[in-house]
Amino acid sequence: MKGFKRFGFIMVGLALMTGLLSACSGNGNEKSSESENAAATNSGTGGEENPYKDPMQISVAFWDVEAEVAKIENDPIVQDILKKFNITIKPVNTTWDDYGQKIQMWAASGQLPDVFAIDAIGTQYQRKWVDQGVVAPLPDLTNYPNLAKYFEAPDIAGLAVDGKQYTIPRRMFPSTDWSALDRVVYYRWDLAQEAGITKEPETWEEFKVMLDAIVKADPEGKRITGLTSSQVKMLGGLFWLYGNPVATSDGSGADFKWIKEDGKFIPAVFSKTALPALQNMKDMYDKNLIDPDIALTSPEIAYDKFASGKSAAMLSGGGFINLDANIQRKRWANSYPDKEISETVKVLKPLIGPDGERHHAIFKTYWSESYFSGKIDPKKLDRILALFDYVLSPEGKTLLTYGIEGVDYKVEGDKKIMLETKALNEKYPAISFLRDLVAYETADRYDLSNPSISDVGLREEAVEYIDWILNNTKVPEYDIRLTYMSTPTKDSFTVFDHDDLLNVMLSKEPVEQAWQKIVDGYKSKGLDKMIEEVNTKAKEQGIE
Amino acid sequence: MRSGASVRTTKKLWDTMLQYKYFYLMVLPVIVWYALFAYAPMYGVTLAFKTFDYNGGILGSPWIGLEHFQKIWTDADFHTAFKNTIVISLMKLLINFPMPIFLAILLNEFSRNTAKRFFQTVLTFPHFISWVVLAGIITDMLSRDGVVNQFIMALGFESISPLTDKESFRPLLYITHMWREVGWDSIIYLAALAGINPELYEAAEIDGANRFKRLLHIAWPGIKSTVAILLILHVGQLLSQGASFEQIFNLYSSPVYSVADVVDTYIYRTSFQIGGDFGYMTAAGLIKSVISLVLLVLANTIVKRMGEEGLY
Repeated sequence: MKGFKRFGFIMVGLALMTGLLSACSGNGNEKSSESENAAATNSGTGGEENPYKDPMQISVAFWDVEAEVAKIENDPIVQDILKKFNITIKPVNTTWDDYGQKIQMWAASGQLPDVFAIDAIGTQYQRKWVDQGVVAPLPDLTNYPNLAKYFEAPDIAGLAVDGKQYTIPRRMFPSTDWSALDRVVYYRWDLAQEAGITKEPETWEEFKVMLDAIVKADPEGKRITGLTSSQVKMLGGLFWLYGNPVATSDGSGADFKWIKEDGKFIPAVFSKTALPALQNMKDMYDKNLIDPDIALTSPEIAYDKFASGKSAAMLSGGGFINLDANIQRKRWANSYPDKEISETVKVLKPLIGPDGERHHAIFKTYWSESYFSGKIDPKKLDRILALFDYVLSPEGKTLLTYGIEGVDYKVEGDKKIMLETKALNEKYPAISFLRDLVAYETADRYDLSNPSISDVGLREEAVEYIDWILNNTKVPEYDIRLTYMSTPTKDSFTVFDHDDLLNVMLSKEPVEQAWQKIVDGYKSKGLDKMIEEVNTKAKEQGIE
Repeated sequence: MRSGASVRTTKKLWDTMLQYKYFYLMVLPVIVWYALFAYAPMYGVTLAFKTFDYNGGILGSPWIGLEHFQKIWTDADFHTAFKNTIVISLMKLLINFPMPIFLAILLNEFSRNTAKRFFQTVLTFPHFISWVVLAGIITDMLSRDGVVNQFIMALGFESISPLTDKESFRPLLYITHMWREVGWDSIIYLAALAGINPELYEAAEIDGANRFKRLLHIAWPGIKSTVAILLILHVGQLLSQGASFEQIFNLYSSPVYSVADVVDTYIYRTSFQIGGDFGYMTAAGLIKSVISLVLLVLANTIVKRMGEEGLY
């Protein structure tokens, strides 16, 4: 009897085990076939063997990637996407303070991760990486249709070296019109009104009058200063707009644009129109309309100052997205719990300059880029490109922006209506990372149905702002081919115009004298020779 | 063929080494450490005569002779950085070298040990705060809203910003360096002073020597040789530690580059911001090292001629 009982238990146990195993295997098979189907669909090889059947680990250097990758375990969307491509990410951390140094050292010691993010286009070291095979060229992009389309934009296509692309730029905007969003001035409209200003500034003069009124009235008694900036690098993006807008640059030192003056191409920074712009900036500084500590500013300091009412205006990158994320969400409620930010803070529309035109900063349509180690296995590169292609696809973009259909949003006509009320970044904490790893696609966030700007008031203002920019401003003419052109002197020539602006601003000498010294410094580094080389080459290439 | 005398000397040396084998064994880890981490990496200096190739690394990069040095000769930024290095280092030596000696003598004059320990601890403490943190504190203190400017403005004066002012940036470097290091640097002199036989002081007191005379004829001769050795060491490190990279890098900004950019910060900025050739930067560093070596030898010779024991 005892033996029979034991036999019975064993049989029941076995039956349970079998059921459990079959249930597990059933789920696994379903998932696996789902994944295979999705992968096959994505790669356009329907019916063939799953090209992603072998698991693959890719090492990724990206800003704060360790923290970002740690978030994946709480993000079912990113988990699914990575599963689809059978990829696991090995984070190789860089920070905003050290990424340039780290990547250059890894390049020198042959330790580059499979894919890494940096802003190196046009620099001397990037040229060496390409020449010496430190970074891998991209293969034919036929199998990656979304990626191929991505390379059709003129300033991205123009990056090819001998017909080969070596990098995937991290695109932000569809055209340079949108650069207006990347150097914006936030200002305290409530304080301006309290100081007696009744009209939003349209010209430089009105802007200066407004700042002066706020600083002098100091309505909150906080010894308020004028304009501050989140970084010194941003300065050129505002002050060159006074009549010399083509001189605006992203601060990399390598992206300076060229204009034709007196029958010759010259970097716009050295145009005759530079002096009035510099004089305008210097006047503002001397009249206390610019934060006296601007030379030592940093993003956190500037956001704190502006959000706590110690600065009347703030020059920032990232447009309304940063206004929402760094001021509204992180700081505003602490200082002003009773004030709606969308009614209190305004974003300055491009001012009318001395030539009667409204100009905004002009950059490239991308900022920073992804490179692939020259030692990367072609199979690994293929898998990474497939992932990138998916992130850029309409399906990938929608998933990483709006979440899951029916759960987070619903479609009504041609509109998406959000069902999820809390910020998607909280529910899916790694979606921003995966999207930004490939491309920022900042422009997508300027859509009323896009929840990335969480404050609805700010979102509406943001959409109105960009519509206004597209209708009311124009981009001055310049030829991007000259910026990308390689000549012996130009390849090692940098123009850190923000440093120059700061030096003029703080100089005790008259503007003209201070600027001449700076120009002479550039001349001693080969400015004239570079101009000569570029003009000769432009003539050869038929660039007029 | 080796001579008999040479063989005998070698044998004698070997016998001595065997006799003191345990001492040699104790010093072995230090020798290995130096060999591995101080001497072996020196092959990297060859990069000063090469142009860096990513595929070849330091050893495989092609030789280009003195090309980098010729370029440096015409590089105005390097000249500025080099001039700044010399000026800042020498000024720091002039101002900051004697201060710890004065401080040690002053502290030594305290008859109460509690007070002596208190001041010593307070003055030594800043040495343990890194320049990154200190730079943050200094920047904060000197901002328009900072305590220094609030005080100045309360007295009715205009606010100051020495961090971005070419005329006051260097004095700020000297003052902040002194504030951080004077206490720490005085420790070794205090130790030397503590080593002086107290009976000498007592005897001098009985003979009627006042405090100043005791200081001049007992304390100073007692620490003179320590001062000489430390002076040689300071001169040897003049161009690297004198023009401290950490301090300047964390405090400076573009408006003061012309008076504050030293060779080390110049190399860093050019390498990582502009993307200069690593070979060129190594050449710049090598020039600095060679000059440091010459200064060290010079200082050692001068000190020896003055009758003190040198470093070697």
